[in-house]
Amino acid sequence: MSTLTYAAISDVDIAATRKRHPKAFGDPFATTLKAASWAFIAVYLVWSLGFFEIGKLLSASDRAWALITRMVVWQDMATWQYYNIYKGIAQTIAMAFVGTLLGTIFALGLAFFAARNTMPVGVIRHAVRRMLDVFRGIDQVVWGLVFVRAVGLGPLAGVLAIWISDMGNLAKLYSEAIENIDRKQVEGVRATGADTSRIIRFGYLPQILPVFISLSLYSFESSTRSATILGLVGAGGIGMIIIERFRAGLFDQVAFVVLNVLVVIAVIDWGSGLIRKRFIGERGH
Amino acid sequence: MLEFKGLTKQFNSTIAVKPATFTIPDGQMVGIIGRSGAGKSTLLRMINRLNEPSGGQMLFQGRDITALKGRALREWRNECAMVFQQFNLVGRLNVLTNVMSGRLFHHDFASSMLGIFTARERAFAIRALDRLGMAHVALQQTDTLSGGQMQRVAIARALVQEPRVMLADEPIASLDPLNAKVVMDALRAINRQDGLTVICNLHTLDTARQYCDRIIGMQDGVIVFDGTPTELTDRAAREIYGAEAEEAFSEAMTSTALRPGASAPAQPEARVVN
Amino acid sequence: MASITTNGPDHDPVSLFETHRTRMIRDRMLANITLAVLFLGFLAWSIWISRFTPDRLAAGIPRIFEYFGSVMPSLQWDMLFEGRSAEGRFPAGSVGYWYNDFWKYLRLIWETILMALTATLLGTGLAIALSFLAARNCTPYPWMGAAARRFLEFCRGVPEILFALILVFAVGIGPLAGVLAITIHATGALGKLFSEVNENASMRPVDGIKAVGGSWFEQMRYGILPQVLPNFTSYALWRFEINVRASAVVGFVGAGGIGAELSHTISFYSDDRVTAVLLLVVLTVTAIDLLSERARHTLIGKESLK
Repeated sequence: MSTLTYAAISDVDIAATRKRHPKAFGDPFATTLKAASWAFIAVYLVWSLGFFEIGKLLSASDRAWALITRMVVWQDMATWQYYNIYKGIAQTIAMAFVGTLLGTIFALGLAFFAARNTMPVGVIRHAVRRMLDVFRGIDQVVWGLVFVRAVGLGPLAGVLAIWISDMGNLAKLYSEAIENIDRKQVEGVRATGADTSRIIRFGYLPQILPVFISLSLYSFESSTRSATILGLVGAGGIGMIIIERFRAGLFDQVAFVVLNVLVVIAVIDWGSGLIRKRFIGERGH
Repeated sequence: MLEFKGLTKQFNSTIAVKPATFTIPDGQMVGIIGRSGAGKSTLLRMINRLNEPSGGQMLFQGRDITALKGRALREWRNECAMVFQQFNLVGRLNVLTNVMSGRLFHHDFASSMLGIFTARERAFAIRALDRLGMAHVALQQTDTLSGGQMQRVAIARALVQEPRVMLADEPIASLDPLNAKVVMDALRAINRQDGLTVICNLHTLDTARQYCDRIIGMQDGVIVFDGTPTELTDRAAREIYGAEAEEAFSEAMTSTALRPGASAPAQPEARVVN
Repeated sequence: MASITTNGPDHDPVSLFETHRTRMIRDRMLANITLAVLFLGFLAWSIWISRFTPDRLAAGIPRIFEYFGSVMPSLQWDMLFEGRSAEGRFPAGSVGYWYNDFWKYLRLIWETILMALTATLLGTGLAIALSFLAARNCTPYPWMGAAARRFLEFCRGVPEILFALILVFAVGIGPLAGVLAITIHATGALGKLFSEVNENASMRPVDGIKAVGGSWFEQMRYGILPQVLPNFTSYALWRFEINVRASAVVGFVGAGGIGAELSHTISFYSDDRVTAVLLLVVLTVTAIDLLSERARHTLIGKESLK
């Protein structure tokens, strides 16, 4: 076949090519299916935005604009009570630390009951796992509210909320780490005639400890993030200051507090990255 | 006619291409040779402006290529197709879509974003693939093909651009001798039949000698040879390749399988009748 | 150069090794002690700041058990599936009594899932668009890439519920504020992940599309998108799971979904209604997790077969 220009292709040529390569001209069924699924997504989006009354967004523009202006223009900065702000941030970090530490300690125990290779009794294993599902399935803020109801307003409820949700998360992740353990290393230690405590110390621990530390550090990071909002339901920390000042219409102060929190969280992420590198090297995840 | 007037490329402190001035008439098949790092690739990629020249000028039919911007630049790239050493196809798309992507310049925004191609484009792409003996794999996912097949798909993509100039940056460096021959035969056929200007970077000397009308030799960013294959004596070649001369020559000895095909269009190694 | 067997106390390899070893052990012990002191100091400070003292804990724990005791449903075996009585009420001890407001809860759960779905779709769309601007290898102008990255950082740095709080003030109480809040946060989180995927994509196809005269949009659409789409889908599904959890909570500040009911029930009642709503939320979240996990696995499975 020799040179052929695009402009010179006639309908006859197209028909002839189509006859020889019918599939190259698009499978009508597949094309329709694809178009239909995109149409479905589009229709759903339009419908759901209508359902959620997207029109309110347009009518609210004045109010939203006023809000943004007041967040950006900072007034009377001398009266912002910085001591309370930084105390709130410190309290948030402290809550996250105590909560994560307690969560870690309890998760260490629970994980061995939830892992297949360390808990052969299926009934217990499943019971523990379902309990962990409940701890994880309920959001930390919900736990916060529940504990506020149980023990009253303040950081105690916050610590308990972080404790219980971190315990659920970590115990699940730890138990997966235990299940993924390399049997050969354990066999190697056992072959030296070591007793059970030594098998755990030299066979299991070196494999799971770096993973555990890494997971707990991540958990601490994510808890500092989530602990900032526990205060919205009264469970202590900076969130209480945010919601108080928001309710009082002090939007500039809210913006300032949020910026500070973002900086503090970035610093914690950076610091925990350093610790992770120091203890477990780059391979730890 | 493609005119180079002192075209230069400088990366930080190193000069990759020193002011180059020469002219390539329409329909010529030009081979650029030289050892690795001599600036061949940079020179070629400046022609379609994948690398921006640092100085000088380049004219095509009297139009200043170096000054093009935006849509005019993309129009020039569409007129001046390129084939790469690593094929640069989209592995996850099928062969046909890769070939049809050669016509993207002619698409409006919506049709290119939605991936809609007309029946005429499909027919044209199939014809181009057929010319390279690749129509039978039109619906295969591209990354399942072999290197030689991919390069032929890449040439088909270049063909559907209906270019005036074809650039080939080391088109056979990643291929075995048999596929290298198929690809070079195809480029030569395009040059002869369609009258396209073909500018080709080659690292083996005898491929350039056998396929090209004209050979340009580069050394450290400078054009040190410009003439016909017969003018390129062994001594001149040794000068171009310098320390790598033995390698280039020994390759010339072993790749004797590479002779221009007797019949001009490329003969595919295994063609499924369809 | 002295040979290995050189005698004398200073050069004896065994004693050299011993001194070296003692020094190493001492150094390591010193480092460990420092760390332990730092850790304990930080812990003491944390306990003091968060006022997490044993007496408070001791006083709190009985109250927790008391509370959980009061919110447990009192189900009786023989009454469990008892229907409505003549007056149209469920008898105490039956599931019907426990879940008296079942249909209301179900409607709110449905709204919660729709909120998460809409927010995931919108967030994914926005994240895809922004990820091409934010990825260092794709961005048309470096300043635009830096701006997009800062914007994404802000979007994912601020928690959903905080955005929801502000948006409820701006657009009023209702699910719209929640959808927008989750969309913004999801855009930030997905945008970062997507741009990292883009940065790992091969640039060769992009060069190819550039060379045929393709615009920036065409380079992204044909050069990058086919490479990254499977990853994008997997991440978006995973984000949907997270968004369901989030949309169950934004209602706490009035941004729609089951959250408002949950917050109201927990704040004002301490009876079996609390566990009724909570259980439904946990079941929904778990079911969505399982479905999405399965979808992700089939997706990944298909990919690895290719």
